[in-house]
Amino acid sequence: MFEQLVGKLPVGICVVNEQYEVVFLNDFFVDRMDANLRKDYQDKNVTDIFPAQAKFLRRRIKSVFVLQHPSFSYWEQRPHIFPFNSSRPITGEETQMFQNMEIVPLSSSTHGKLACIFLQDVTAQASYYIAQQELSKALKREHEEQLKLIKKLDSAQSQLIQAEKMASTGQLAAGIAHEINNPIGFVSANLDTLRQYGEHLISIGEKLASHSPDADTTTHKLIQQLLEAHHFDLLREDMPPLIAESCEGLTRVRDIVENLKRFALEESSGWQLLNLEDAINQMLELVAIQYKNPVYKAQIEPKGLKLFCEPGGIKQALMNIVINAAQSVTGEGFVKIIAKQDDTATYIKVLDNGSGIDARHIKKIFDPFFTTKPEGLGQGLGLSVAYTAIEKHNGRISVNSKLGKGTVFDISLPLQQPEDSDELVVTSA
Amino acid sequence: MNGVTTLTEDQRDALQELMNISMGQAANSLAHLIETKIGISIPKISSVTPPELFGMINRSDNAFYTRQSFLGDIQGEVMSVVSRDGLSEVANLLEYEAPLSQSDIEETILELSNILAGACLAGLSSQLELATNLNMPTLFSPKKASFVELNWQHSLVMEVQFDIELSSFSMRVVFCLDRVSLEKLTATIDELLG
Repeated sequence: MFEQLVGKLPVGICVVNEQYEVVFLNDFFVDRMDANLRKDYQDKNVTDIFPAQAKFLRRRIKSVFVLQHPSFSYWEQRPHIFPFNSSRPITGEETQMFQNMEIVPLSSSTHGKLACIFLQDVTAQASYYIAQQELSKALKREHEEQLKLIKKLDSAQSQLIQAEKMASTGQLAAGIAHEINNPIGFVSANLDTLRQYGEHLISIGEKLASHSPDADTTTHKLIQQLLEAHHFDLLREDMPPLIAESCEGLTRVRDIVENLKRFALEESSGWQLLNLEDAINQMLELVAIQYKNPVYKAQIEPKGLKLFCEPGGIKQALMNIVINAAQSVTGEGFVKIIAKQDDTATYIKVLDNGSGIDARHIKKIFDPFFTTKPEGLGQGLGLSVAYTAIEKHNGRISVNSKLGKGTVFDISLPLQQPEDSDELVVTSA
Repeated sequence: MNGVTTLTEDQRDALQELMNISMGQAANSLAHLIETKIGISIPKISSVTPPELFGMINRSDNAFYTRQSFLGDIQGEVMSVVSRDGLSEVANLLEYEAPLSQSDIEETILELSNILAGACLAGLSSQLELATNLNMPTLFSPKKASFVELNWQHSLVMEVQFDIELSSFSMRVVFCLDRVSLEKLTATIDELLG
């Protein structure tokens, strides 16, 4: 009865002696072996019958004989020890059988020490597990892609916010500029008239002073007293430069407003030929108003260098980089822009000798919302916007920086030809 | 239920001695198989809470972990902590050929755990005349959270460290017994002590 039972067990049983010779095989093994081996396996070396994993089998059986302790093998590490197929030879899905193996020590009075190999068909579990693993891998991949997409969306959104903000700031600036222009107009006209009136008054005073000795004593005294009481000498010396300075100041205000109007109000969007030299000079003037520390230099070759681009984006990109450069210069220092062009591209370099960028930050500076400024002082969008604008032009931007020494931004924009050569030239005119 | 109070000093000494002998046998078996000298530490016997057990096991990031349950007259689990250092030398001794694949590494870890845990358990069982069977080892990575959730308060653990000369390899085997098995164990020890 037991022999029948062992024979029919749905588990492979193979018993070998200390010479690794097969003493017993149950049906599970026999059914799966080659026909010519089925009759003739007794007393054959198990590694001769199953040579594929001979070395491994020998080692494990030896370990069981030496240690008198079970040895295990798991399908995950060693899936196919015996060259068996899983069931279903007719209906398909026939694959190599995934196997778990356990070898246990036995002993019998006739054979002495024995080792019994139990073999379990775990193909179903293994295929299920493998399918799960693949599914989980696919899910993970999808998840990563989604994360990337979300990141892209985030950055796109933040750039939209920035663009929106720039647009409204631009409109605001243009509106204010317009409003300021009116008073500036009449104030400077009035001031000019005032200057003339002043000159007249001074000349009256001077004449009075020089002719008063000719008058009678009472009048002479009165004139002298009046002139002294109103500090005529000081007034005469101080009034013209005061008025001249005020006129100069007004001219500067007018220039700033004009620059602001031109730079901020990008009415015409789309690709146009931009006069890069003018744009850079305008921008430097604007930045210089707010950041007075550095000396600003522009070196543009050839003069009147033109660039076919989206002027709004490029101006904004340069502005953001230059502002960062200017902010990094705390004591004496410089901010310099070098622009040149060859047959293939336009190269713009922005250099400063300011505080530089910490090496651990350098990878992140183009990330949206990355900022080293104290909370509330920076949104971390400037360089991200610059990066996107340059990317949009198929250009490249790279940065080199040394803490305490300064920073260099290198921009290269591949040359693009306007489709229509009669394109408008956007200049400062 | 407190593992410490149920062990008298005599019981502890006896268990320590039994462990010493079985560990020695385990080391001998492995040494015989891989033909190398093996050093063993004095076994430590203590009662631990789940977080303490986690602390015992999770001492280094540079290790692999396996666990293996055993059934029979006494029941419990054996956890092995296998150092990454020197593992390739040991794999060579077990006749794996370099370079080791991931499967080779896993198989080596599982086999080492099985040999040492099995030998320890077999030694202990045979001296106490208890029948035990060790199940298949599996790899696992201990997580503090899952240890905190365990539904026991104290467990008797026996810990021993094996070192292989010639390489920086070391391995710790931690035996944990459940409460019923602990009672069975102390009863058996008491019988031996007479």
